[in-house]
Amino acid sequence: MKPIWIIAKKEFRTFFDSLAAYIILVVFLGLSGFFTWLYGSDIFFIGQATLMPFFSVAYWTLFFFIPALTMKMLAEERKTGTLELLLTKPITDWQLIAGKFLSVMMLISVALLLTIPYYISISLLGPIDHGSVWSGYFGMLLMSAAFTSIGLFASSITNNQIVAFLIALFIGVFFLIIFDVLSSSFTGTAAYFFNYLSLSTHYESISRGVIDSKDLVYFLSITAIGLLSADSVLSKRNIVE
Amino acid sequence: MLTKRKIQTTLFLAVAIIILINVLSSRYSFRIDLTEDQRYSLSDATKDILKNLDEPLTVTSYFSEDLPPDIEKVRQDFKDLLIEYSNRSNGNVVYEFINPNEDQEVEMKAQQAGISPIMINVRDKDQVKQQKAYLGALLQLGENKEPIPFIQPGAAMEYALSSGIKKLSAKEKPVVGFLQGHGEPSLDQLIQLRQQLNVMYEERTVTLTDSTNIPFEIKTLVVIAPTDSIVERDFIFLDEFLSRGGRLLLAINNVKGNFQNATGELVNTGFSKWLSKYGITIADNFLVDAKCSSVMVQQNQGMFRMNIPVSFPYLPIISKFNEHPITKGLEAVLFPFASSITVTQKDTSIKFTTLASSSDKSSLETLPLFFDIQKQWGSQDFGMSNIPVAVAVEGKIARNSYTKMVVFSDGDFAVNGEGQQAQQLQPDNVNLMTNAIDWLSDDTGLIELRTKGVTARPLDAQLEDSTKTLVKYANFLIPIGAIILFGFARFQYKKKIRNIIKSTDYV
Repeated sequence: MKPIWIIAKKEFRTFFDSLAAYIILVVFLGLSGFFTWLYGSDIFFIGQATLMPFFSVAYWTLFFFIPALTMKMLAEERKTGTLELLLTKPITDWQLIAGKFLSVMMLISVALLLTIPYYISISLLGPIDHGSVWSGYFGMLLMSAAFTSIGLFASSITNNQIVAFLIALFIGVFFLIIFDVLSSSFTGTAAYFFNYLSLSTHYESISRGVIDSKDLVYFLSITAIGLLSADSVLSKRNIVE
Repeated sequence: MLTKRKIQTTLFLAVAIIILINVLSSRYSFRIDLTEDQRYSLSDATKDILKNLDEPLTVTSYFSEDLPPDIEKVRQDFKDLLIEYSNRSNGNVVYEFINPNEDQEVEMKAQQAGISPIMINVRDKDQVKQQKAYLGALLQLGENKEPIPFIQPGAAMEYALSSGIKKLSAKEKPVVGFLQGHGEPSLDQLIQLRQQLNVMYEERTVTLTDSTNIPFEIKTLVVIAPTDSIVERDFIFLDEFLSRGGRLLLAINNVKGNFQNATGELVNTGFSKWLSKYGITIADNFLVDAKCSSVMVQQNQGMFRMNIPVSFPYLPIISKFNEHPITKGLEAVLFPFASSITVTQKDTSIKFTTLASSSDKSSLETLPLFFDIQKQWGSQDFGMSNIPVAVAVEGKIARNSYTKMVVFSDGDFAVNGEGQQAQQLQPDNVNLMTNAIDWLSDDTGLIELRTKGVTARPLDAQLEDSTKTLVKYANFLIPIGAIILFGFARFQYKKKIRNIIKSTDYV
């Protein structure tokens, strides 16, 4: 456990030493704030004490935001050769991936914590449903975990950051849009299958305030599959023929 | 020794296990509804109804689009609810959403299905205009159809949907009995009430003789305004009825007004004595209320005789209702010549609820009573307040079986009358009676849903524009500012450390 935590802390610090973390946080908060407070179906337009507008915007911003964070994580290690160097260290591939995963989740938590002022202001303006807000934040964390693991997997299979970013987006689009579209164009079992795979169905259910074991299992499964695949890809370089 | 094969097998096994977990989880799932009002949890009553659904039920929702956000929310809430229904019924509830404003033909279809349009104000380019909107649904089970004409924002949608489904799927209608033979109004005199009842119930008259008891298929017995004294035998039958779990509705005139000689009289039915056994007493008095209906009085105005309405406090308009499924949504009910009801609680397991009571300005008058139509009523005449006129009782009232009973201290409020004297009643008068019968007959708990609406969560409407702007920009800018400030501080700090390192002389 300790090596994971050391890697996570180191990665987390690196975010804040480069401009990357700041740009991403400012863009995330800018987009979320803009659509929650100023434009479109913002809080004052709908006149309801709810964080729904924020949750639906964050759904899309996180989709772009997370691949940008994860793209370099393994791809750069591979490119600069430090990945080979890590073989000599007393850490396993699994610890490396878990540490990096944890650091991204920490940064996302910081981003979400910075939106707590939204929650406080709205709860001062009207009777907000606290349960559904916490459930919404929880859903966002689960979704972020799924996207992060997809991003790490994408980053593990290439040594080019841009390619990693695009692959992560490509896989993400399937979960976000394509399965949803497919489910509505099929009927019966196929429709059910695609509907189950669609991330938006599960996210919507959680963000409105219902925590279902099905949704939990779904998000954790995607996270697990992503991380396991990344681990398998990394471990290939240990193959002794 | 790590081989390619080993990696592949591990990954394959792990993925297989994960898929298995997913399949299992969709079979055995649990959920926690974190919303304050349990908005996404269906009641047991609904679950029962859905479980008994063995055919697919189609819900065609006719909802207009591009409506103001508060009404748009109804559409979303309704959709969320239908998702739950669909999940709970193993996919037996199928739904679709149609926008009737798009197509004339669809609109016609919606209207034919019984969906009624409403006019709402829509802001368009800084102009307010009226737009026809549809917020309704049509339920279809096999050949049978049942419309929900209009879903009110914030109203109890689950009740509307579940009772609709129940109506469609119920194979046999429950029987409601109306006691006859003691001067009660016949079924023909209850036109409006019967119109509402016969959707859900079958009405039947009940006449008691030495050899005929109350038939067993009757679960709910309604006694409206008997005028003759009731023989002891019938009371024994009623006792038996209650102790076998029968539900009883009593609308009793304990007093009546005689317009011929302008006096108030007692109606001797024996019911008040019988009822006191169950802890309920209808007093021998007249309720007078400042909030009342009026009677037409002939007056000579110079050469003309004119009919002039005069307030008559003996015809109280009851508008104070307690929170209860029976009184949900009622505004005002006219209770001509009502009396006060008092309740003595003998047993804590029996639950008494006052359903309706008089206004803050009311009083009681005792017999003998002479109506003075010219009397100028002042506030000194109404020294009392909140006098109960309707009571609901539930629990083990008679012996050991659970039953329910509703008592009104007026018998005429839901009676239309006969022939020439028949009069149209206010809808709430009839609704009160129907709701009471619904509550009595219902064992599933469906009626409790009437009071379950979606809690409105409006933002403070009194907010000034300047405050709004402040809140908007503060929320938009403060988090961004905070992160930029933090970054700047961190870079400065790093720079300082770098400079210290640089300036140190390493000798």
